[in-house]
Amino acid sequence: MTTETPVTTASAPYTGARLLTETVVALSERAPAIVAAAAEEMREIRLGLHFHDGSKATMSARYSRLLVEPGVVGEPDVEVAFDDRAMNLVFDAQRPPVEQVLPQSLDVRGPRDRVLAVWRAFVLLSQRASGLRFVQQLWRDYREQVPRLWGTTAGGPAPRHSPHGDEPTGWHAVDFLANRQPLEPGDQPTIGGTAIAAPRLLWDGRRSTGWWELRPVTDADLVQTMTACRARANQEIDRLLPDREPKEDLYDLMRSYPTRQGKGLRPTLVFAACAAFGEKPENAVRAAAALELFHNGFLVHDDIADESTHRRGLPTMNAEFGNGLAVNTGDGLNLLAVDAVLANLENLGLARTLGLIQEAMHMCRESIEGQAMELGWIHRRVVPSRDEDYFTMSTKKTGWYTCITPCRMGAVCAGVTDPAVLGRFDEAFRLIGIAFQIQDDILNLVGDEALYGKETLGDLLEGKRTVMLIHLFRHADQRERQRLGALLHRPRADKSQDDADELLAAMRRHGSIDYATELADRLAAEGIARFERDLSIIPENEGKAVLRQIAHYVTTRPL
Amino acid sequence: MLGVLGPFPESQLCHLLDRQWLHYAFVSPTTGHAVISNLSVLGVEYPADGSSGRWSPQRMAIALVYDPVHGWSSTQFNADAPDPAWSAFRLPHPHGSPGPFEVAAVAGLPAVDLRLSRTSRPCTAQTAPFGDDQFLRWQSEPGVRGSGTLRSPSGDVRCDLVGYHERVRGRWSWPVLGGWVFGFANAPSDDPAGPPPWSVVFTLIQPQYPQDAANGSVMLWRDGRMVRHFPRRMLEVAVHGELHRDRVVLVPPLAATLATAPAPAVPGRLLITARLGEDRLVLDFRPTTAARIANPSETSLKPFSVHELLGGCVIEGVVSGRTFGFEAQGIVEFAGDARDD
Repeated sequence: MTTETPVTTASAPYTGARLLTETVVALSERAPAIVAAAAEEMREIRLGLHFHDGSKATMSARYSRLLVEPGVVGEPDVEVAFDDRAMNLVFDAQRPPVEQVLPQSLDVRGPRDRVLAVWRAFVLLSQRASGLRFVQQLWRDYREQVPRLWGTTAGGPAPRHSPHGDEPTGWHAVDFLANRQPLEPGDQPTIGGTAIAAPRLLWDGRRSTGWWELRPVTDADLVQTMTACRARANQEIDRLLPDREPKEDLYDLMRSYPTRQGKGLRPTLVFAACAAFGEKPENAVRAAAALELFHNGFLVHDDIADESTHRRGLPTMNAEFGNGLAVNTGDGLNLLAVDAVLANLENLGLARTLGLIQEAMHMCRESIEGQAMELGWIHRRVVPSRDEDYFTMSTKKTGWYTCITPCRMGAVCAGVTDPAVLGRFDEAFRLIGIAFQIQDDILNLVGDEALYGKETLGDLLEGKRTVMLIHLFRHADQRERQRLGALLHRPRADKSQDDADELLAAMRRHGSIDYATELADRLAAEGIARFERDLSIIPENEGKAVLRQIAHYVTTRPL
Repeated sequence: MLGVLGPFPESQLCHLLDRQWLHYAFVSPTTGHAVISNLSVLGVEYPADGSSGRWSPQRMAIALVYDPVHGWSSTQFNADAPDPAWSAFRLPHPHGSPGPFEVAAVAGLPAVDLRLSRTSRPCTAQTAPFGDDQFLRWQSEPGVRGSGTLRSPSGDVRCDLVGYHERVRGRWSWPVLGGWVFGFANAPSDDPAGPPPWSVVFTLIQPQYPQDAANGSVMLWRDGRMVRHFPRRMLEVAVHGELHRDRVVLVPPLAATLATAPAPAVPGRLLITARLGEDRLVLDFRPTTAARIANPSETSLKPFSVHELLGGCVIEGVVSGRTFGFEAQGIVEFAGDARDD
């Protein structure tokens, strides 16, 4: 969710409004598919929330984002008042909401259809999010800090996960699992295991349920999953890096970029796609490592080409060690990436390794073609006039290696080599990739450097052809275009921060950033629709749940 | 002669779905190595041309070797196996007289070369009727001791094992049979030749229909003799969590090259409670690794999977007012999710 005026700070008092806001913010980051589904229900509705502690908030939906603002803003369509007993209605996994609704504890007012839409949104948030560990932690913290918010609940303490109720039950198997000897959290798998699931009875002496019978697939916690996947891929990179000289001038440098704090998007896609097709994620580890190595090799070379000075909050390799060592390190990373692909021979066999080589070669070709398109525009001082040119360049330059190839390689690791099946990832993730890239470009203009990880306005200093720039040059008059062109085409060393600020001001004046935001949202929505349609061949499983969360990452990303 | 030859393993097969399985599972209490083997026979099939001759029954054998450092290795389904194979159910079969059990991959590895000996007595045979005219009959004996060499691609290991042996006879098909959960644990013992002080074997068979056909039991042995049989109405079986997919290894080797369809996640914990009068038993099994044996379907591309799980097993209970308990390595089998036969 985007909080346009944040209502939460570390020192803010514990209030109902804050709890709700933090929950939605956390869900937007860690389980965006849930927020997107709730936003779909909330569309067009402005919801006023009144909490018993006197705090108020207004919730509305914009595209797939849920926006929460402090206080009551405007004229809400639906108003909900929670009393001190009703707060635990939403995310208390211990007891179903229906047990907690007490007379007058929950006052909802508004037109009937809108009240029902709000109810659906809350049911959806409650059912899909309450099992996630981070949500439980958030609500547990609040309950401990402000027990009065929770009030008293009806019907005594919450029942345990027991079909036998609250009574001491002796020797019931589920009671042992839920209460007497619960399963302690183990080490985290790369895919799955981010939500709490209750024990299941297979046989109670009367009724039989097969252990294999499918349960609803829980939504994944994207942050936890990406952290685990990234760590696993980096561990493999460490294993692949040779332990020999020259360390200081080559191998240590090769290690430095992958260990910088990236999101872990690519390895997560590789692991998740592999798991989605039913293979164990471990089989995708070398492909994930290879992609990270290719990516970092490209980044090193990209930073040289762009004359960038900072990457993920630290000086770029060319800025710190000079272009010569940086070029060599980039070559080393690409070579090691080829090694990582070939290393699959021993665990995946020849056919899958050949498939991976084909995917990697295709990705490299697309990337260098995209890079050539962009550098050519800069070299020839051209700003393309059509968004489609940007789409093509962006897909080639970043779309393939950020989204499409990781998915395809994950599927190949699972033994999928049919081009028709692999091709089902292409259009969905092409659209999602473009949306992601446009959002990245917007964040470079308006984002916080600490959060974004790259230098703010760096794209303007580099003269990067973004959708905003293309829109600006399309809508500026002749005279302004000449002036802006002169600024844009200066060599980077000659560009000042003032030049970048002037370009940014012109973009704001012409509505280029708003245009790009709308465009990214539209492309993201199309991408999601294609995801659901094209990938319906994959059964619902923990791998697909992660892929869906990543697809929705672009729809709920705060801008 | 009246009726078919018998009893199994000498019995005659008269239906195309008649099956005979001899199952062996052993684990080393000291080194953690494990051996699982299944020798199966699928009944006769009559030629389609109407001739009166019979085809030979289809014989398959598979052996899995688990090494705690190098993990699972497996033969294909065509392992070389002795015929007749060692079985506690061939009589007379006195205790303390070891017999050979040699199963090896056609390619040579993995292979097991063991001397097996009985220390205990079998449970009573149990039958689960289900479907329209299908049934499964089984009988197991824990406390079987093995000694010899396990050969795997990671090298040869000599070790002493203790486990169990089971014979299964029946007439069944998938998906009518549905699935099953069964397993065992033998309590550790200082006596390398005697029966384990305690053993537990459990079975839960979950046919697709009729609704009330699920069957199973938990059985408890004391010093080689079965002392309690907890029948199906007196059991509860529950699972929790999932074993990481990365800890599930697909076997036999050929399955990995055939783009084998995915299987459901294996439970991360199994808990069984049983009670009978004042007697109580709780079995808590936590797997650490599993081998997924993908059995090719006889009629479709979707395999039927049997998961062999290794892990720690904690058992405690009260029998005749006496409390007992032990911890040991156990082997549990989860089979199911067959969509075709």
